Amino acid sequence: MTARVDRVALLAVPGLAYLAVIYALPLLMLLAKSIRTADGVSFGEYAAFFSDEYNMRVLWRTLRVAALTTVLALVIAYPTAFAMSRAKGPWLTVFLVAMVLPMSLGVVVKAFAWSILFRANGFLNSTLQWIGLTDGPVRMLFTETALVVGAANVFLPFMVLPIYAVVRQLDSRLPEAAASLGASPMFRFFNVTLPLTLPGVVAGSAFTFSMAISMYVIPSLIVGERQQTMSMLIARSFLYLRNEPLGSTISAVLLAIAIFVVVFSSWLARRLGARQ
Amino acid sequence: MEQGKFPRHYLEAWGIAKSFKGTRVMSDMNFRVERGELVSLLGPSGCGKSTLLRIIAGLLEADEGAVVLGGREITRFPAHKRNVSVVFQNYALFPHLTVAENVAFGLRARGMAKSATGAPVSEALSLVRMTEFADRPISALSGGQQQRVAVARALVVGPDLLLLDEPFSALDRKLRETMQVELKSLLLDRGITAVFVTHDQEEAMGVSDRIAVMNAGRIEQFADPSTLYARPASPFVMDFVGLSTRISGRVVSSDAGTIAVDTAYGRLSARSDVTVGKDVLLGVRPELIAVEAGENTIGVPLTDVMVLGSKTVLHGTARGGDRILCELPGIRGGLKRGDAVTLGWAVDDTLAYEVAP
Repeated sequence: MTARVDRVALLAVPGLAYLAVIYALPLLMLLAKSIRTADGVSFGEYAAFFSDEYNMRVLWRTLRVAALTTVLALVIAYPTAFAMSRAKGPWLTVFLVAMVLPMSLGVVVKAFAWSILFRANGFLNSTLQWIGLTDGPVRMLFTETALVVGAANVFLPFMVLPIYAVVRQLDSRLPEAAASLGASPMFRFFNVTLPLTLPGVVAGSAFTFSMAISMYVIPSLIVGERQQTMSMLIARSFLYLRNEPLGSTISAVLLAIAIFVVVFSSWLARRLGARQ
Repeated sequence: MEQGKFPRHYLEAWGIAKSFKGTRVMSDMNFRVERGELVSLLGPSGCGKSTLLRIIAGLLEADEGAVVLGGREITRFPAHKRNVSVVFQNYALFPHLTVAENVAFGLRARGMAKSATGAPVSEALSLVRMTEFADRPISALSGGQQQRVAVARALVVGPDLLLLDEPFSALDRKLRETMQVELKSLLLDRGITAVFVTHDQEEAMGVSDRIAVMNAGRIEQFADPSTLYARPASPFVMDFVGLSTRISGRVVSSDAGTIAVDTAYGRLSARSDVTVGKDVLLGVRPELIAVEAGENTIGVPLTDVMVLGSKTVLHGTARGGDRILCELPGIRGGLKRGDAVTLGWAVDDTLAYEVAP
């Protein structure tokens, strides 16, 4: 018997070819730069990167900001997804447009809008002082908090939409069945609703986290050069220091984290989905 | 609650009214069930039977009226405080839990430690003969098995009332009949008070002590199956519960509770107090009709003869909106399509309903 190729599978060929040439190949070349020296293959760049305290601080800050961004986005997105799943007709459209439209606005415009909000004589500070919560202006711009708040805003749609997709398919009779079996709203949430929507939470968190660890424009505009992130370090290595092996090494570290997040989350999603 | 305000029925839904988006679907509904009874709410879709079930379960709030269960007014109780279990149409089993975890759910929701649920869960599973499936995921079960798990899950908590929303509709016919017999004996053995919601009259008659036939948000008749079948209170009940021959006509004379009615098939008699000059609908159950015998007789050519084994069904030529249907026991040879026959039945078996002209 001859092996037959599914002809529908051939439709993937242009996409795969494109990814191979435009994505995989340059990435491999980049990775090669991080381990190739005049004497052959060496992991010296990695040893140097991990032994530098400043680099470690940047790595830790990047992970922390990404994690906090993910948590904040999740806290806002989870109830939003439920509200969206209940919304009908024009309201659903309003929700979806509200999710998608800001994505087309561009981060630069948003970042400047935030600076109006966050700056010393900005709206937030004026309001806080007016209601008497603070005596003087609080420093908001150029802080990690502002970065997390801003980043969560940018990545919110990537958290909301996967959760919404799962919540929309949640059988509304399951919480009802739980209630008729004597389960309080709290018990229903933790034992029915949450476990059944967890795959959406995992997917949304994976999207948000992997985008947040590699963000460049948002931290550049909100916190500037003083608090570097991994992506800013990479850009600096290539553009200012002209140190390609260093840039490639940091890129590889970032890539490894991203791959770990994707693999781990898909493993988690499969495990959660296996029983359903 | 004021003593004696409500009669002492085990379950009483009293003066229930409900609107959806400004449309009244139910008003002044009264529904009573005694302890240990198996009752069905029977009616076409949209008649309000599921609405009533959901109001009793606490999954829907009534606009007006009260629900009393076991002497306790539960009208404002949320579903989880009513101790009323529901078996849903597609069972609504939790897909992320195993069979045993599904059954244990209600016990854990009531605060029982996970370790203590083992014994009651095994007992409930053995009751529905699902012991060996305890650790299976729900997705590995057939429809009938899922229904058994849903029943075990609903009963393990010792509910004061069991509500079943079209519990057999997702099963094929053969399995449905088996499950009906099984479930009925389980509920009777345990003395469970249960309310079934169904649109299937055979199912309702098979499982219930009494049936409430609902139409357009009202109960048309609430009676035991034999009364419902033999003495339906309205043409709607007559048509919804079983088949019948229907002939319309006008009352031409009335004498001591017996009326004479002129119809397209001649003059027929019925026991009724409908007055002279009114339009009436006459009905007869098909198995009460015989060939060449009876007090009321009509002569009709047969349009169809169906030999079904246990019975032979004759269809007579219909005039106007009438319907002529006769069921003879066993296999009756010698009759064929086109034969002109005389069909007859007793005056006492003739149902008569006054209808608007």
